[in-house]
Amino acid sequence: MTVTISEFFKESANWAFLAIAVPTLFAGWRTVTSNNIVRAVLYLVVSLGGTAGLFFMLGAEFVGWTVVLVYIGAVIILFLIGIMITRAPLGQEADLSHAMNVKAPAALLSTVVFGVITWAMIDAFGNNMIPPFEPTATSDLSLLLFDRFVIPFEVVSFVLLAALIGGIAIARQDEEVVS
Amino acid sequence: MDAIDYHALLPEIILAVTVLATLLVDLFTSRKSFAAITAMIGMFASFVAILTLAFCDNLTFCTSTGDRVLFGGSFVVDGYAIVLQGLFIFAGFIVVLMSVGYLETDRYYEGEFYFLIVSAVLGAAVMASSRDFISMIVALEIVSGSGFLLAGWRKGDARSNEASLKFFIIGVLALALLLFGVSLIYGLTGTQVFSEIAAASSSVEDIALFNLGAIFVLLGFGFKVSAVPFHFWTPDVYEGSPPPVTAWLSVGSKGAGFVGLLSVCYLALPSVTEIWGPVLWLVAALSMTIGNIVAIKQTNVIRLLGYSSIAQAGFMLAPFGAAAATGADLSQTFSATVTYLVIYAVMNLGAFAVVIIVGTRVGSYELERWSGLNTWAPGLALSLAAFFMSLAGIPPLAGWFAKFVMFSATIGVGSWWGYSIAIVAALNAVIALVYYLKVLKSAFFDTVPADLDVATLEAGTVPGPTSFAIGLTAAAVLVLGIFPGLAANLGDFSSDFLATLGL
Amino acid sequence: MTVFIEAAIKVAVAFVFIMLTTLVLVWAERKWVSDLQNRIGPDRAGPFGILQTLADGLKAFFKESIRPTQSIYLLYLVAPIAALIPALLIFLVIPIGAPIEIGGTTYTLQVMDLNIGLLYVLAVSSLAVYAITLAGWSSGSKYPLLGAVRASAQMISYEAAMGLALVPVVLLTSTTSIAGIVDAQQGTFGSFIPAWNIVLIPSFIIFLIAGFAETNRPPFDLVEAESEIVGYHTEYSGFAFALFFLAEYINVFNMSALTVTLFLGGWAGPVPSFLPTWIQWLVPVFWFLLKTWAFVFLFVWVRATLPRMRYDKLMTFGWKRLIPVSLAWIILCAVAIGFREFGAPWS
Repeated sequence: MTVTISEFFKESANWAFLAIAVPTLFAGWRTVTSNNIVRAVLYLVVSLGGTAGLFFMLGAEFVGWTVVLVYIGAVIILFLIGIMITRAPLGQEADLSHAMNVKAPAALLSTVVFGVITWAMIDAFGNNMIPPFEPTATSDLSLLLFDRFVIPFEVVSFVLLAALIGGIAIARQDEEVVS
Repeated sequence: MDAIDYHALLPEIILAVTVLATLLVDLFTSRKSFAAITAMIGMFASFVAILTLAFCDNLTFCTSTGDRVLFGGSFVVDGYAIVLQGLFIFAGFIVVLMSVGYLETDRYYEGEFYFLIVSAVLGAAVMASSRDFISMIVALEIVSGSGFLLAGWRKGDARSNEASLKFFIIGVLALALLLFGVSLIYGLTGTQVFSEIAAASSSVEDIALFNLGAIFVLLGFGFKVSAVPFHFWTPDVYEGSPPPVTAWLSVGSKGAGFVGLLSVCYLALPSVTEIWGPVLWLVAALSMTIGNIVAIKQTNVIRLLGYSSIAQAGFMLAPFGAAAATGADLSQTFSATVTYLVIYAVMNLGAFAVVIIVGTRVGSYELERWSGLNTWAPGLALSLAAFFMSLAGIPPLAGWFAKFVMFSATIGVGSWWGYSIAIVAALNAVIALVYYLKVLKSAFFDTVPADLDVATLEAGTVPGPTSFAIGLTAAAVLVLGIFPGLAANLGDFSSDFLATLGL
Repeated sequence: MTVFIEAAIKVAVAFVFIMLTTLVLVWAERKWVSDLQNRIGPDRAGPFGILQTLADGLKAFFKESIRPTQSIYLLYLVAPIAALIPALLIFLVIPIGAPIEIGGTTYTLQVMDLNIGLLYVLAVSSLAVYAITLAGWSSGSKYPLLGAVRASAQMISYEAAMGLALVPVVLLTSTTSIAGIVDAQQGTFGSFIPAWNIVLIPSFIIFLIAGFAETNRPPFDLVEAESEIVGYHTEYSGFAFALFFLAEYINVFNMSALTVTLFLGGWAGPVPSFLPTWIQWLVPVFWFLLKTWAFVFLFVWVRATLPRMRYDKLMTFGWKRLIPVSLAWIILCAVAIGFREFGAPWS
């Protein structure tokens, strides 16, 4: 069944969705187009917060709070620490924009791809509605993680170990072992 | 919760234990080669485990029969998984052998290097057994992640840093596209298990979004196999990384990408070959052509091998393109790609092993410095000739059988999809000969450059492990070339499962 | 609609409660520190100096706010507010007392009970790092920047230790909701030892120490000590500084309350049944406040007693001591609970 615009705005869930999605998209766009790198990172924070909000709307509480805890609470902090220590001049604008002959085709290409994907999505899912659901219980999630998906779970721990050790080896400041 | 078949997981468990053991051995011992020995012992043990799985019927203590399916079909050990896991372990073993001699020449973090190689082998092995997107992508993450780090292992060298950064940025872009495609496919079919996607694909194949999702997934894996037009990172990354890492990237990382393509195309989308067939036909044709043509102009041997690997990836993708024909025998095209991959891995590893030795001896990888190799290292020149001729496809070296299998699969399909790609491949095989012979001409028929001291060059020795690696790969190349049935058996063994799926 | 009214009342009550508590807390700290240092402390403003905090707050409100010209105005103003918000948000999930029955409906003395309350607490406390990072960055000068980087690194390191220390709690109580954890601690072992989670002693100790580090309290207060000029709030004065100050003390109360809720049974305690109902409702609140203020006293006592930890020792302690211990403890707990639930694997 197709939904008309007025029907769309009668549902309060749709208002909430718009309230979360529009700032997320705006922040995502500003992350890419901002000239100041710290501002870009802070826009990314807003975008990730919006993503967490969308997870909450879908009932995925655990994943949503994990996004806040890990992405916003740790990863972006590390971005900020790294930027602050290494490059950003204090209190000034850093110029990050490319020349127009690079920006214009990139913008054109991304707009075209965005248009194609949007059209394809509306064509495939335009008539769907999300049925009412219960929020996911954490115990169900953990049962799935340790029963059906235990191999990816264990492999992920090796991913993290490899990244950790390799990252330390590369980023270390060393006197003796260096090439 | 069903009981877990630990025998099926045994190779991965041994590799996981090896990963941790390598790290601990490196922590508690002072001689760095102990970590390498640990890694090699572990990989050898894992290979033995693979053999017990392969020859399970002949062993008394091995009770289960047929393919082993675990976790609701997301982890399967069948012929395909066994052949490819064995290939990755072999490749990792040879790379560690090559690195032992190389890492000693300068100051590197050695223990962590071996740790990352074994982690990458673990990831690639899990990829070969994965039959759903989540497991495959997580395993791909290890292979990619360790690849990014290993490419930058020469910390003081700007080229190495550039290689690592380029690889990382383009790699995560490809991963993002891959994940987006997976999410679209999941949204449309409601599952991420390959067999279930195959069952559902007939009902969704007309939806444009499904085609788009499939193409995004192919893009993501296409980057990993460095197919044109996603190949721009390959020459710079191969040139900048330490050469043993380049050997791993060109065989193991590329192989992992092919595992992804094979699994997605033949397991998840076998009934919609009209989606991926034409795309991969185009990609294969472009890869072969552009790889070969640009390789001719290269002066740096490693860059030349990089472009050659792009072209070889094109040859391996050619059967995918031929499968676009309706009614094509998918098991034949599948086994053609796997056979070519196995043979390519062996000869490329050998080629890199020789190239590393010569390069460190001469001090440069520029072709003009390699003139007259035959005068001061005839053994190395001969092995170089063997591997390069194999890459070109000259009998009695293994490369000819790889090309033969590829041609018979593409022509055997019997439609213009197959014929056209076979014509392109034949032309490219001739073009490829140009640059392979260029290197050999320089090695055999030119004189040594005036500023190189022949006496010191002659006095250099090949490190023991590397010569063992060269010997192993050269023997494999000869054996597979003279007795091609072995490779053919491997290919057929790996495509057996397709028969059970009715393809 | 009634849901909104109930929620609004609860939020208002909680806000007033926390503000009053902080008022008393600041005064109590100054008094206790002065007692431990053998001096009198504030005793002019009101009886026993109890209105001293109010006087200080008013003073800070009217003080001139000096802002460096190089500072980034928006972030500079947002940072203190960003420090206050997580502090208030954490308090929302802490149950002050047992659920009360009024006219047939049960009201919990907890503003909201999330199913994943524990993860919520960890997530919100990790947001508190942003305030410090942004404060140091937006001040536009080197000393706050260095202090902010150090403080952020310290906080995220001890957050990892804190999160890991809480995993055995979840393992033991098999629930992540705070009210569920408190409920699981009712009852006794062997009929006289209360079934509090403090049996997880390593978790308790690690959580307490991490709590000190999260709130930047001594002995982990290198980044805001008065004798160090490197601190993220160096360029802040007046009301903005007061907000940082307020946020820190609210966090002290939060950490104490969390320790009590997660490890000491929250509001659990003997309720004499001979008392009239309206007093019976207050008894759990009394137990909660007693235990929490005991830990607040501990915070103040440690401040007055222990010397400051040097920064590199602080980081070493967090990463190389606390985190491995908490990891080993998780494995031990998991094995023990596995034995209890599933029996031995060889049987």
